[in-house]
Amino acid sequence: MKQKVSKVEKLVEAIIEIEEEKTYSLVEELLNDGYDPKQIIELLRKGVEAIGTKFENKEYFLTELVMAGEMFQNSVKILEPFLKKEQGEKVPSGVVVVGTVKGDVHDIGKNIFVTLLQSAGFEVYDIGVDISPEVFVQWVKEKNADVVGYSGLLTIALEAMKKTTEALKKAGLRDQVKIIIGGMPVDEMWMKEAGADAYTDNAFEGVKIIKNLLKVN
Amino acid sequence: MTSIERVFTAISLKEPDRVPIWMLIDFLPVKYYDITAKEIIEDPVKSQKAYEWLYQELGGFDFGLPGGGIYFQFINVFPDTYSAYYLDWRLPGRMLSEYASPQLFERSHNNPVLKETDYNRLIDDGFFWLLNFNRASRKDSRILGKVAKKVTKNIEKWWNYYKTPTIAEGGATIPFELLSFFRGSTNFMKDIYRYPEKIKEVSDFIIDGLIAVGEYGPMMSGGKTIIVGATRCSADFISEKHFEDLVFPYLKKMVETFLKDGFIVQLHFDTNWTPRLHYLEGLPKGNIYLHIDERTDIFKAKEILGDHMCIEGNLKPSLFSLGSPHQIEEHVKKIINECADGGGLMVGSEIPDNAKMENVKALVDTCKNYGIYRK
Repeated sequence: MKQKVSKVEKLVEAIIEIEEEKTYSLVEELLNDGYDPKQIIELLRKGVEAIGTKFENKEYFLTELVMAGEMFQNSVKILEPFLKKEQGEKVPSGVVVVGTVKGDVHDIGKNIFVTLLQSAGFEVYDIGVDISPEVFVQWVKEKNADVVGYSGLLTIALEAMKKTTEALKKAGLRDQVKIIIGGMPVDEMWMKEAGADAYTDNAFEGVKIIKNLLKVN
Repeated sequence: MTSIERVFTAISLKEPDRVPIWMLIDFLPVKYYDITAKEIIEDPVKSQKAYEWLYQELGGFDFGLPGGGIYFQFINVFPDTYSAYYLDWRLPGRMLSEYASPQLFERSHNNPVLKETDYNRLIDDGFFWLLNFNRASRKDSRILGKVAKKVTKNIEKWWNYYKTPTIAEGGATIPFELLSFFRGSTNFMKDIYRYPEKIKEVSDFIIDGLIAVGEYGPMMSGGKTIIVGATRCSADFISEKHFEDLVFPYLKKMVETFLKDGFIVQLHFDTNWTPRLHYLEGLPKGNIYLHIDERTDIFKAKEILGDHMCIEGNLKPSLFSLGSPHQIEEHVKKIINECADGGGLMVGSEIPDNAKMENVKALVDTCKNYGIYRK
């Protein structure tokens, strides 16, 4: 038992230190030792969360966030065959639809955001780039989304963000979905113009904001 | 003072008659002049007229953009060179509406131009095998020579007739950024952790070639300025250690060579550079200036680099679309108040395509009225 505890610590530490191979070996070892895969996922989340904190403290940067997402996803792939679907399984923290708005094809930030949301336990639909208001509406409706994220880097993206919000209003969906906008240039001015509830230029902070919006711990 | 004298005085860290105005206005004329984005790229004569019109309309500013030389090259490299090589540009009138600005499409996660197993191949076989002839059109290649001559004429007109320097005639890419484009930024961020030694090996191998590419534009056009762009190695993206190992030695070699060879260097450093500014003290003094956007703290830049290199920035581009003339004026005044003393300052921004003209005018007018050095 003592050995297992130390492996648990080692796993969290390996993630925080971005030791990729070591992380995967430890995931496999814990699995072989009979650890519950869901518990291992919780450990992975703990590691990713710690990386996020280091990112906020400016000890880590986008590269480390990308690695956090990568290590999380690859570890989950190792665990997947052992994850049993059970009755009463923990429901996802919320449903989030994310896309880059019409006229803009930038997706680096969006992709990182999506991975971090997944690692935080959200059900995420990445609907791609250059997405028209109609398509946003369709996904929000179909997936009964709690949150919709508009991503954009270009100044012209603001116009498309406004139109997307208008389309959501027209479809009668605005009141049931929170809107967050994300991208390097966004600020409070953008948020107001776009008719959104929140904004961020930081993927990790975006996840926190969504947790707050949905009152998820 | 002419704009040339004004800019060179600021670059040499002395006080000119007033603070020079730097604006990258690339597709702004589409909104205010009878021209499409497609024509800005493909018609050097018409786009020169549009830029001159804007220059007159605003009562003059201190950097000219040569028609057809969009994106800092002495010839228009769209779409031939860039798209054929490693970037996937979406172009007005081809894949976008004639009025839309070009956009760079990041090669997807799953289909990078350069695979992770290909680093050795770059050293063994060079870059030619990476060319994507599907994107390059023969028609574009055929007209390139003709276009180049016209753009050169436009550059000369700015320098000789308007006595105004041009923003840049050559673009140089440091190995780190080039490899990131080849691999796709997200893939490359993983490579930084997985194959740092390979990245260094390839960077050592390609740095001299990239320096030569940077010098080619101004050499062919009689221009003077080379822009060294860097974004993906800023403090938003990578750690100090990675910057020290994988970026700075190559940036330094590149800048040293350009200055030694007599060119002006514009360090075009978008995103957040504040925590990395002190490294730039390690670059030589000379004909060099640093462009920063609003993510880098210009007051810190002045504090750290004020005695070392001219600083240019750093209004937020979206302020020109969403803000008011009063807001622009306040921002410009603050920059001038805090950073103008002793010279070595230019005020500016990249101007978005949907900027309000009164906001652009507010930048120009505030620099002209408020940015005067009083002895």
